Amino acid sequence: MSRDNILLKIDDLKLYYHTTAGYVRAVDGVSLNVAVGERLGLVGESGCGKTTLMKAILRLLPANCRQMGGEMYYKGKAISSLSEKEIKKMRWQEISMIPQSAMNALDPVYRIGAQIKEAMKTHQKGISSKEIQERAANIFELVGINPKRLRDYPHQFSGGMKQRAAIAMALVLDPNLIIADEPTTALDVIVQAQILERINALQQRYSGSLIMITHDISVIAQTCEKVAVMYAGKIMEYGKVRDVLNNPLHPYTLGLKNAFPSLLGEKKSLISIPGSPPDLIKPQPGCLFAPRCPFAIAVCQTEDPPAKEEDGRIVACHRLAEMEGLKVLAEDETIWERKVHAGD
Amino acid sequence: MKSLSKYIAKRLLQMVITLFVLSTLIFLLFRLVPGDPVSMYLDAGMSAEAKEMLMKQFGLDKPLWEQYVIFISNLLKGEFGISFQYGKQALAVIGDSFWNTLILMAVSLFIAFTIGIVGGAILAWKRGTRLELAGIIGVLTIRCAPVFWLGMILLSFFAFRYQLLPLGGMNTPGTNFETVYAKYFNLDFLKHLILPAITAGLSAAATPLLVMRTSMLEVIKEDFIELTKAKGLSDREILFKHALRNALLPVVTVFAVQAGLAIGGVVLVETVFRWPGMGRGIVLAVAARDYPVAQAAFFLIGAMTIMFNLIADILYAFLDPRVSLD
Repeated sequence: MSRDNILLKIDDLKLYYHTTAGYVRAVDGVSLNVAVGERLGLVGESGCGKTTLMKAILRLLPANCRQMGGEMYYKGKAISSLSEKEIKKMRWQEISMIPQSAMNALDPVYRIGAQIKEAMKTHQKGISSKEIQERAANIFELVGINPKRLRDYPHQFSGGMKQRAAIAMALVLDPNLIIADEPTTALDVIVQAQILERINALQQRYSGSLIMITHDISVIAQTCEKVAVMYAGKIMEYGKVRDVLNNPLHPYTLGLKNAFPSLLGEKKSLISIPGSPPDLIKPQPGCLFAPRCPFAIAVCQTEDPPAKEEDGRIVACHRLAEMEGLKVLAEDETIWERKVHAGD
Repeated sequence: MKSLSKYIAKRLLQMVITLFVLSTLIFLLFRLVPGDPVSMYLDAGMSAEAKEMLMKQFGLDKPLWEQYVIFISNLLKGEFGISFQYGKQALAVIGDSFWNTLILMAVSLFIAFTIGIVGGAILAWKRGTRLELAGIIGVLTIRCAPVFWLGMILLSFFAFRYQLLPLGGMNTPGTNFETVYAKYFNLDFLKHLILPAITAGLSAAATPLLVMRTSMLEVIKEDFIELTKAKGLSDREILFKHALRNALLPVVTVFAVQAGLAIGGVVLVETVFRWPGMGRGIVLAVAARDYPVAQAAFFLIGAMTIMFNLIADILYAFLDPRVSLD
C-alpha cells in the first residue's frame, strides 16, 4: 500500500467520554488506514467504540467526548485542525454516512426528496433546480425506488425503503468515503439481505471507499475487503477479510467466529464467549480481553499486548506464536465454559 | 389542498354542534345561579303585581323548557333577546366590545407565542448556560405574578413615569371616527393597544416557552438532527429549519388550550387598562342577572375559543404531514 493511496489515516486515536464517574475510554489507541476505493469492515460487540470512532471522523461527537491523543488524517490533513467552515465543507461532500437507524434519521416533517436535495443545495451552489431534480430521481432509481416517491414523507415509507433512501442520500454527492453504521441492524433478515445485495450492486458503480460498521461478521464477509476487529476501544485484529475469517489469529476473533452459525459448513454447536465487555472507566491492566479469554496466561494480566504486524495483518495478542495450537483447542466447547446449540 | 378544505368544512360542522351544546349549558348555568333578575329592580315599594308584570315582560313566568325553546329559536335567528337592564338587543349592548376583546386577545396571543417559540428555542440551544437559568427564572416570575399587578407595574413605568404610552382606554377621549376601519387602523389605537397586549402576552408566554424548550431539547437529541449536521448544514439552518419545525408541534397543542385560558387573563387586563372590551360587560351582566347579555357574551367567548382551536388544528395539519386530514 503506497502512502499516497491512503485516504483516511487514523493514528493512535484516543477518544474519552468525560462523565461524573471518570473518563470512559471508548476509543483507546486505535490505528487504522483506509486506502482509496477500499472497503473496510469494523466489527465488534455493542459498546466497543465503533460508532464513536466513526462519528469522530465527521466531528459529530458530543461536547463531553474529548480527543485525548492521536490524530485522524483525511487526505493527509489532520481532521481536528480543520476550521468549522472546512469541516462543514468536508461533511457529505467528501465523507457521508448511512446512519444506524434510518427509521429516525429522516426528518419527519419534510419530503424525502427535499431532504436529498438539501444536501446538493448546501454543497453545490449554483446548480439548477432541474439538475437537482434529475440527480435526485437518478439516485432513487439506483437504489430501486420509484422517483415519484421523492414527494413522499418518511412516514409513508417502509423500514427497508427508508434505509434505501438513506443510502441514496449518502451517495448523492458521490463522496470519497461512505461510513455505513450498522445499516441493516434495524431490519428483518429478508430486507437485510435485500439491502446488502443493493450495497454490493452499488459497489460496481461507486468507486469510493466504504467503512462498514457492524456486529455481524456475515455482513462484513459479504461487503468488505479488509476487516478490523474491535474490542473495548482497541483493535484486536486487522487484515484481509478472507484471511481473518478463515484463519483468525486472535482468541477474540476465534470466539466471534464460534458464535456465528455457518450455512454451508458442517453443523456444529454455537459457542458463545462467556462474560461481558470490561469496564471502560477503570480498565484492568494487561490485555482487556484477558478476563474472558480461555488462553490467558500470567503476562496477559499485566502487560498490554503490542500490535504485531506481518504481511499487512495486525494482531494484538501475547500468544500469537502459539496460535495454531490454540485454534484447535478453541473448537472444544468446554474451554469456553458456556455453550449454546444452534437452532435452540 | 382539496383534502384541507374538506377537513375545514368538516371541522366547521363539528363547531356548530359544539356551539349548540355550549349554548344549552350556558342557558342552564344562569338559571341555576341563585337570585333572579327581578330582584335587582326590587325596591321596598314594589307591589306583587308589579313584580309579576316584570317577570311576564321578561318571559320568566314561562316554564323552563319553554324558555329554552324560545332561547334556541332566537339563537337560530342570531338573536339573544332583549337586555333586562338596557331594554336593547343583547348583541347591541355588547356591540363593539366583542371586537375590542378579540383584537386584544389575538394580539396578546401572538406576542405570547412569539416570545415563547423564539425564547424557548434559544433557551434550549443555550442549555446549561447562565442565559438559560436567567430566562427560566424570568418567565416563571412573570408567570407567577398576578396579571393585574404586572399591568400596574408596566403602567407606572411606561405611562406614568416616562409618559411614553397612554394610561388607558382604547382611543384618546374626544376623537370620533367616521368608519369602523378608521377606528382600529390608526397610530393612536396602536399606542393604546401596546401596554395591555404586552401585559396579557407576557403573562401567557411562560407556558409556550417552557413547552417549546422541553420539546426542542427532545428534538435536538434525535438522529435526524445529527444526520443534518453530518450533511454539512450550519447550526442556524439545523436550528430553524429542522429542529424548530419539529419542536413546534406540541406548542401548537398548547395554543389550543392557552387560547381558552387567555380570555380569563384578558378580562383582568381590560379592567386595569380600561379597555372597552367584553370583560367588564360580562361582570356587570352576571351581577345584574341580565340573562340575555350574559348568555350572548358567554356564547361569543365560547365561539372565539372554538375558533382558536380550529386554527390550532389547521396549523397542526400544515406543520406535520403525519396528521391525517381524513
